[in-house]
Amino acid sequence: MKSMKKVVGPEYNLGEKIKTNVYAVGVAMQESVYPHTMTVFYPRERKKMPDNYRGFILFDPDKCISCFNCSFVCPANAIRMKEAPNKRYYPTIDYGRCIFCHFCIDSCSGGALKATKIHDVAYKDMDEMYTPTEEMIELPEIIREDKKYVEYEIEEDDLHLKRTKGEDYLFVDVPPPKEIPMVSECIDPDSCIGCRVCAEVCEHGAISASVEDGGTLRMKIDADECTGCGLCVKECSMQILKLNKLERK
Amino acid sequence: MATAIGAAGQSEWKVAVPEKPLKDKTYFENLKTKVIDTNLCSRCLTCASVCPGGITVVDNIVDFPDYETKCLDCGACVRVCPRFVYEPRSGLGDYIDFIAGRSKRFAGQDGAMVTELLVSAIEMGMIDRGLFAGRDEKWATEMFHVREPEQLAITTLGGTKYTFADVLPALKEAIMFTKRGVGIVGTPCIVSGVRKLQQEYPIFRERVKLVVGLFCTENFHYDDISKFLQEKGVDFSKLVKTDIIKGKFISTMTDGKVKFKVTEAEDIVASGCNVCTDFTAVESDASVGSVGSEKGFSTVVVREENAKKVIEYIKEKGYADFGEADTSQLDFLIGHKKKREENIKR
Repeated sequence: MKSMKKVVGPEYNLGEKIKTNVYAVGVAMQESVYPHTMTVFYPRERKKMPDNYRGFILFDPDKCISCFNCSFVCPANAIRMKEAPNKRYYPTIDYGRCIFCHFCIDSCSGGALKATKIHDVAYKDMDEMYTPTEEMIELPEIIREDKKYVEYEIEEDDLHLKRTKGEDYLFVDVPPPKEIPMVSECIDPDSCIGCRVCAEVCEHGAISASVEDGGTLRMKIDADECTGCGLCVKECSMQILKLNKLERK
Repeated sequence: MATAIGAAGQSEWKVAVPEKPLKDKTYFENLKTKVIDTNLCSRCLTCASVCPGGITVVDNIVDFPDYETKCLDCGACVRVCPRFVYEPRSGLGDYIDFIAGRSKRFAGQDGAMVTELLVSAIEMGMIDRGLFAGRDEKWATEMFHVREPEQLAITTLGGTKYTFADVLPALKEAIMFTKRGVGIVGTPCIVSGVRKLQQEYPIFRERVKLVVGLFCTENFHYDDISKFLQEKGVDFSKLVKTDIIKGKFISTMTDGKVKFKVTEAEDIVASGCNVCTDFTAVESDASVGSVGSEKGFSTVVVREENAKKVIEYIKEKGYADFGEADTSQLDFLIGHKKKREENIKR
């Protein structure tokens, strides 16, 4: 017990006490005139999200090649592929499961999935959170009451709000990330059964199959046309196609 | 393995397309007219295992529903069918060793040597999975991938079922997953199918490492044999084992046995078996059966070096007792099946 020190507060002289008190009164008066609040008055104003914000996911059926990559990569199993009336498979998202990692958007080889900044969609129950393909094509209906958007700024080690009049755009078309160019190749040509499923599924017409004289089938993958979507790799029943890095000569 | 990760691929390759005897028909129609409709089909399902369309079994007959629209006309079925160009095999075939064995670890039909061979091959590291035909409560077959010897605790994996199993479609699935290799067991027709697949496609050549054949006189479709056995008074819920010994079909139940002559079941023998002359699975790595050895032992005909290695491993570990086997006892059944050659020419 003897070795313990008593904690003592700092001692101010009179001049310092007056100085700190006057500063405190000054801050109080400044706040009463020009409040310096941190609160964002949603929905009258919105926080401006960065352009690559991971929000509601939009879908463009014209760009979808039905490669199932989004549903395979989804770590939360939120994406299911459903057959559309045109016999193609398009994704549907269950927002009750979605963790907004946007792996689906990153893996989308056709660029059919796009991110938006929308983070405030309301649902009445869990079943409604299941979003069919049709509802993913258009932005969801939002009543915009916001007149300003708000940004946080750091000035002199202090956090400030910066309010700007006008509406923030909720959908910004961010260019897709730069991909490593991949190309489909056959790793075991002798095991090819020649079913031509790869040529049939290829959206870009990169794989051609032609019967030559003498009864042989000539298969060719055009590296310039191949986008590396991996659809043929998935469909090959002998699993002899593989995506390799494209080495341009 | 040629298909190792990082293997360089090719962007251009050629595939040999088999010839069509019927020029303007699809390959499946060729197969249908030449093999299926002529009752040559053994229902080995080699075609179904490679078909990217949908060859399947409908009413005990190999069929392709909607082949007019769904057949891709690739010719894979014709390439692999062991009976499209049928070269009937018979006799005992070439062998290195002819022995009788009884497993100390497993219970099976006789000496449980099929189970012992495949499990020992897994332990040796030759294969990483073996395909076993198991059965459900109603004695319908279902395929199991065995990767650990402990899985043999499922007692329904051992023992003969006398009905067809979908071994080869399961094999196709297994070679896609395997890291080291697959071991399979099957009737002579299935063994022929595997050899044909291996001959045509390197992926099967590299990944199917052990093929164990069974002695087989004939096989039955599940619907037929289950109906037939029920008429004879066999209760499937109590059935423990089925066996054919000296021309008698014996169904062992928990409360007794039902015996009858196999010749009584002649009408329900699968049509493909009437043209099969191979009793000992000549093309296998090792053939196993009960004929030729004492009660409780299995006869093992070791034909290839890989099977020889497995037998040596079993001997080294002391997993099984070995005894003498007699080739002359097989002569009757080999001769019996050889007579079926007449049916082919008909």
